[in-house]
Amino acid sequence: MTALVTPAPHGRSGRRVLRARVEARAAKWGRRAGTVAVTALLLVPFLPILLWAFADRWPYPELAPTVWGVGGWLTATAQGAWPALTRSLLLGLTVSAIATPLGAMAGRALARGRVPYGKMVTALLLAPVAVPPFAVTMGLTTVALRLGVPGVVALVAVLVVAAVPYTTYIMRAAYAGYDEGFEETARTLGAGSRHVLLRVHLPLVAPALAAAAFLAFLVGWSDYVVTLLIGAGRIVSLPLLLGASASASGNDPTIAVLALLATIPPVLLLTAVTVLSRRRTQR
Amino acid sequence: MRRTTTRRTRARALGTLATAAAVALSACAAPVSNRTGTADDGYASWEDVAADARGQEVSLWMWGGDEKGNAYVDDVLAPAAADQGVTLRRVPVADTADALNRVVSELQAGQDSDGAVDLVWVNGENFRTGQQAGAWECGWTDLLPNSAYLDPTDPLLAEDFGTPVEGCESPWHKAQFALAYDAADVQHPPTSLTELFDWARAHPGRFTYPAPPDFTGSAFLRQSLYEVTGGPEQVPAGPDDDGAAGATSALWAELADLEPSLWRGGDTYPRDAAALDDLFAGDQVDFTMTYGPATLDARVADGTFPETTRVLTLDDGTLGNASFLAIPANAAHQAGAMVVADLALAPEQQLAKADPAVWGQYPVLELDRVPDDLAEQFADLAPSTVVPPFDELSRGADPELSADWVAPLERGWRDNVLTGQR
Repeated sequence: MTALVTPAPHGRSGRRVLRARVEARAAKWGRRAGTVAVTALLLVPFLPILLWAFADRWPYPELAPTVWGVGGWLTATAQGAWPALTRSLLLGLTVSAIATPLGAMAGRALARGRVPYGKMVTALLLAPVAVPPFAVTMGLTTVALRLGVPGVVALVAVLVVAAVPYTTYIMRAAYAGYDEGFEETARTLGAGSRHVLLRVHLPLVAPALAAAAFLAFLVGWSDYVVTLLIGAGRIVSLPLLLGASASASGNDPTIAVLALLATIPPVLLLTAVTVLSRRRTQR
Repeated sequence: MRRTTTRRTRARALGTLATAAAVALSACAAPVSNRTGTADDGYASWEDVAADARGQEVSLWMWGGDEKGNAYVDDVLAPAAADQGVTLRRVPVADTADALNRVVSELQAGQDSDGAVDLVWVNGENFRTGQQAGAWECGWTDLLPNSAYLDPTDPLLAEDFGTPVEGCESPWHKAQFALAYDAADVQHPPTSLTELFDWARAHPGRFTYPAPPDFTGSAFLRQSLYEVTGGPEQVPAGPDDDGAAGATSALWAELADLEPSLWRGGDTYPRDAAALDDLFAGDQVDFTMTYGPATLDARVADGTFPETTRVLTLDDGTLGNASFLAIPANAAHQAGAMVVADLALAPEQQLAKADPAVWGQYPVLELDRVPDDLAEQFADLAPSTVVPPFDELSRGADPELSADWVAPLERGWRDNVLTGQR
């Protein structure tokens, strides 16, 4: 600050500009460094997984694998990794396909304040997130069995309940900032309700819908305990395979391959969601 | 069997807890408690079983951490079951308790038939918990034609970690705890654990054991308990019985005294058996240990372990156990499950999985009862310079302690040896 009060015959404003520029540059580099640090923090744990996925032998205390190979991929394939991946994809997509519209409807109603005791309803909707899944699952298994619900149906139902808090939360936020004036304008200009929904409403909430769908997908994609206990072992999903494999010592290459397979689809989806919503906002 | 019993993951602890809670609950709810499991389908003959089994799909829930075991079931056992008209579907679980949880939940909900679990690879704690919940079908094992190859007086098959088997599970594998050493470094191999401890004190830093609750480290604790007390018959039946405290304090004293002579002065322990194997492979220590010694040959053959690796023969024998296949009382496909359990006992199957290249699980059969040509093949199986034949390896085998002991010993080690010295 001293520089600013020092009298200077020429260039007081010039210095200020320079200072501002330096500060802006420093902030920019700071942000960049921050981004790099955060990215590194997220990526570094994957380095050993990547190495292990192609390590046929990596004895302690070597810093890198001593024998490279694809043994882990062959074993993972033999243990049924690919069918399990397909099942997990289907499960995630099913949960997402049900929980996203449900969350959108609930979120919209809550955002418009049309729900009596809205805060309580919101709290109730978020409750499944707060309760330990293992305890809930043990109880719900019995409930589903008493009701005679087939395992796979019960599985999808429970996962949808687990996913709805996320989708509702996101959609409520989206609808809170949603200007219904656009819909009214479209209607004034003669658009039918179908037209309004498809051409005005959905495009406006699309980024939020994509984010909600992604989170709901993750709920189905990553679940272990519900799939096994409520699903009665009918669906041997990727987390089941990964959990079983990781419960032993000495399977590191297989575990690494399964972990990669479990990570790649969500990362791809997340990238797609991000790119999609960027395009929307840029338009 | 290796890790069916004593997988010590948090999930397992949780699972056991939940099972225990469910058992307690179901006892209150009571529709379950009177089913101590009799053959309610009442199969009179094997022909009836075989006929009912045709066309059934059997869900075998088994711990899925053993890649070779998974491959054996998928590639050898399942095709053989298919020949008898039974489809075998493997459900891999991270923990055998998960399977039991499902069964207990079903029983608790009053589902007395048509259960999702048909067959479980089980022993020890999980078997006992299931017995308490009335979760197992009992009295069916004598029907299996291949049970004729079993020795009815075999103590390992009569009691499972102290719980009487009573026809509620059919044997599948035997296992023998073994220590291995590098003969190039250990000129005069010890013949007892006491001698081994003395050797370790004379050669600081060249011996260690996996930190319990690792499965193998936990077995080493039990083996050491036998050593300091003078044998299995000297150890009280349960950890709360008279004399138990004296036995364990002697064990902690011995292991704490040994600690400074261990690898890295006992400041740290290998986190699991695989880490100890890596130390042994890298010549950081001269001993390793395993509950599956049949795998040692392969590790010598592929160059992981030195060619001079040998199994340590202890005068007093080592821990042995068996693992089993159990059918839940409410299994939807009991006949099919019985066919699979019978097939698992067939000499051809027992021979196939005894091959270390396939799985390396020791047979439960009595070889005198097996047809001569097959018995010879068992004898010829991978003649090894590393591992003695199973009859020699299992000579004087010690029965496992009651499953009640496992967790208290692991906790005691943590409190008295791992943290007690610092």
